[in-house]
Amino acid sequence: MSVVQYVEGNSLLHRLDPRAKIIMLTILTIIIFIVENFLMIGAILLTILLLWWSARLPMKTLASYFKFLTGLFVFIIVIQGLFYSGEVILVQPLIPRWVPLIGGLGKISLDGALFGILISARIICLICLLPLVTMTTPIHFFALGLTKMGLSYQIAYTMTTALNTIPVLQNEASVVMDAQKLRAFRVFEEGSFVQKLKAYPALAVPLVIGAMRRAQLMGVAMDSRAFGALKRRTYVEDIIMKPQDYAVLAVFAVYCAAVLVGNFML
Amino acid sequence: MSEPVSGKPTKGEPMIKVENLWYKYPRTKKYVLEDISFTVEKGEFVALMGANGAGKTTLCQCLNGVIPNSQGGKVKGRVVVGGLDTQETPISKLAQKVGMVLEDPETQLFTTKVKNEVAFGPENLAIDPDEIMKRIAWALKVVRLEGYEERPPTALSGGQKQRLAIAAALAMKPEIMVLDEPTSQLDPIGTLEVFSVIQDLKEEYGMTIVMATHKSEEIAQFADKVLMLHEGRLVKFAPPREVFQDLELMKLTWTHLPQISELILFLRNNGISLKDFAILKDEGVAMVKEALAGKAGRVAS
Amino acid sequence: MKESRVKSEQRERQVPAGGSEYAIEINNLTFTYPGGFTALKEINLKVKRNEFVGIIGQNGAGKSTLLKNITGLLKPTKGDVIVVGVNTKDSTVADLATRVGFVLQNPDRQLFAPTVEEEVSFGPKNLKLPADEIKQRVQEALGYVGLLEQKDAFPPALSKGDRAKVVIASVLAMRPEVIILDEPTTGQDFRGCHQIMGIASRFHEAGHTVLVVTHHMALVTEYTQRTIVLCNGTVLMDGETREVFSHPEMLRQTFIVPPQITQAGTDLKEALMAARRGWTPRTVLTVKELGEDIVAAMKP
Repeated sequence: MSVVQYVEGNSLLHRLDPRAKIIMLTILTIIIFIVENFLMIGAILLTILLLWWSARLPMKTLASYFKFLTGLFVFIIVIQGLFYSGEVILVQPLIPRWVPLIGGLGKISLDGALFGILISARIICLICLLPLVTMTTPIHFFALGLTKMGLSYQIAYTMTTALNTIPVLQNEASVVMDAQKLRAFRVFEEGSFVQKLKAYPALAVPLVIGAMRRAQLMGVAMDSRAFGALKRRTYVEDIIMKPQDYAVLAVFAVYCAAVLVGNFML
Repeated sequence: MSEPVSGKPTKGEPMIKVENLWYKYPRTKKYVLEDISFTVEKGEFVALMGANGAGKTTLCQCLNGVIPNSQGGKVKGRVVVGGLDTQETPISKLAQKVGMVLEDPETQLFTTKVKNEVAFGPENLAIDPDEIMKRIAWALKVVRLEGYEERPPTALSGGQKQRLAIAAALAMKPEIMVLDEPTSQLDPIGTLEVFSVIQDLKEEYGMTIVMATHKSEEIAQFADKVLMLHEGRLVKFAPPREVFQDLELMKLTWTHLPQISELILFLRNNGISLKDFAILKDEGVAMVKEALAGKAGRVAS
Repeated sequence: MKESRVKSEQRERQVPAGGSEYAIEINNLTFTYPGGFTALKEINLKVKRNEFVGIIGQNGAGKSTLLKNITGLLKPTKGDVIVVGVNTKDSTVADLATRVGFVLQNPDRQLFAPTVEEEVSFGPKNLKLPADEIKQRVQEALGYVGLLEQKDAFPPALSKGDRAKVVIASVLAMRPEVIILDEPTTGQDFRGCHQIMGIASRFHEAGHTVLVVTHHMALVTEYTQRTIVLCNGTVLMDGETREVFSHPEMLRQTFIVPPQITQAGTDLKEALMAARRGWTPRTVLTVKELGEDIVAAMKP
């Protein structure tokens, strides 16, 4: 999935300083974990979707997240309903109470189901939130943002290079898969789980050896260009916090306060 | 051919001095380079030849100090580039003496814009951004990629990617450029583009070039000297004309001759001895023309 | 040489009775990627059995998309691809793999087994062949590429040339009718190039069809009889290799320059004509050809 791929654009989110975005991302993530009020978590989700729309990010990707996660959500809600004891029962026990030991199991409580919905809502919020930053920030600005916030530039660069490598590895994996298919290998399409597990080396070995070689060569290339030679480095494309960034942060602070107040008062 | 045709580099000044160099990688027993000694003068273009596994890549990495500074392993002997001993100089200094271009375009481009790619090296040296901008403009002009500043490197053709890699090395203002098989993955025109840029570096900027390659025809045309490696040893260091005439050596090292040289040998084996050996197409063609004209003259009379 | 004869006899028995005279038939093939990019436009090509064909064109001309359509990794958006009598639309990649073998450009993308022998037996095992048949095929394929002695070696530790040979052997062990080599000489030295092309040409001499995709023009002129030039997803030229290389201006459109010896032949054309009246020299493809022409012209 293209969680990390930058999408060209000129929206407010695109223009914001990466630091502002990283700060907001972090705070909002914490708030999503704190909030328990359905209205408020709903409001957060709505905000995220609106931002997604305003930044003209691909709605298809968004839809694919929802589709991908639906099964998981149903599972979470049912499981929570089953094991969370509550007063109000939505679904009566499958097994009558008089059966010894397992009697009364299989009921779904309202409280449990609601808690399941809350967890699901948090997951979807978090998953839709991250791309709002990664898809609107070119990767080198993201690294620069982290560096200016105190991370060493070597670590920031290593992180972003790793992110950059994901699509390369995906591509590599499909080449390896094709190569094995061309030798009549069908396990990945029609094999059982055990067969797939056994066949794993045919995919993993070339991929890992390739990645190691790649990393080694990249190391030589980066060393040759003095990467990490000095503690400090300069940047041709610098980032500066503009009044606009501070304004957005101020609005964001008010928003967070409102959400928290709403959460504890309602 | 053997004399640098370049601008006016001071002659006789050794730019690269390798003395009794031995090297083995960490955790291996065998030395991959054994007792290598040679010097390269300022402004010379040296082609590194030899079969795969002969030690070309290792030697390239010794020249810019990646070996041993970041690769480890065991070194005996000395490598001095532009007056700096690679074993005593930090990579940040060496990177400003020796630029490096690798074989695979993909593994040496790691940023999202052409401009940032060229800036990457100088930024690591903490050079002032205004100065870096000047260098970007200059380096992209040298490799003929002006106007590509904002494009992503992934959108470039193979030849363009390798030229970008050259620009990225140039931005560190090195005096020596080391290229490890930079054209092996390129189509014929991409190859010519890269060679013509390297030709400019040598002639217009007086740079010293060391390039590992299998492409004999381009070597004959552009290189001043060939350094032939065989199983980790230096077996010949001479102008291409001399190297390509050494047929024993060609056989030993599995080197292929320029096609025009093969033609001369074919004719020689079939009873037509031309007055000289040829390594360039045009000189070979001229010699054959002369022979044909001589025959035409004989028939007419 | 002996091996190749044995192999070809075995093969004759294998050729499906009544199979078409074409190894590959491509009718009106158009291929559009999911993103909307049309990489191949209305391609029509027929490759006869036992042809040795070169496919050339700049990076991005559509060569790899074409190869993927032939091997069934991609299915045509429009049109048909018929490989040794089977339409790729009605077949799977695995079934097609016994008809057309594909040798990948980079051997390191498929080598995974701890020994050469196991690597080569991977394909036949996937075909669920009996153990003794697998053993025989592996033996034969390794003999063919000259790696019998290295059968217990660890593939990643072999030289680049030998790694390529392992990959070729692993494809030959599928006993395909056609093999396709994708940039087989990239990163290989002179010896590696020759050994790889030598294997391909023995396979061809044994009665099979070979397609080679390459940027290395001297190999195309030296080994192939026919050359297909792709440019922007269409066939720019298709004909006898000699004919194709007689049009350097057309080749330039797709960033190709003829080999040095062919250029030298062009430069010498007039001089050769003057030396020997009433003779139009051919476009030369190899050193030997130009040498022979010069020797002929020098004769009184």
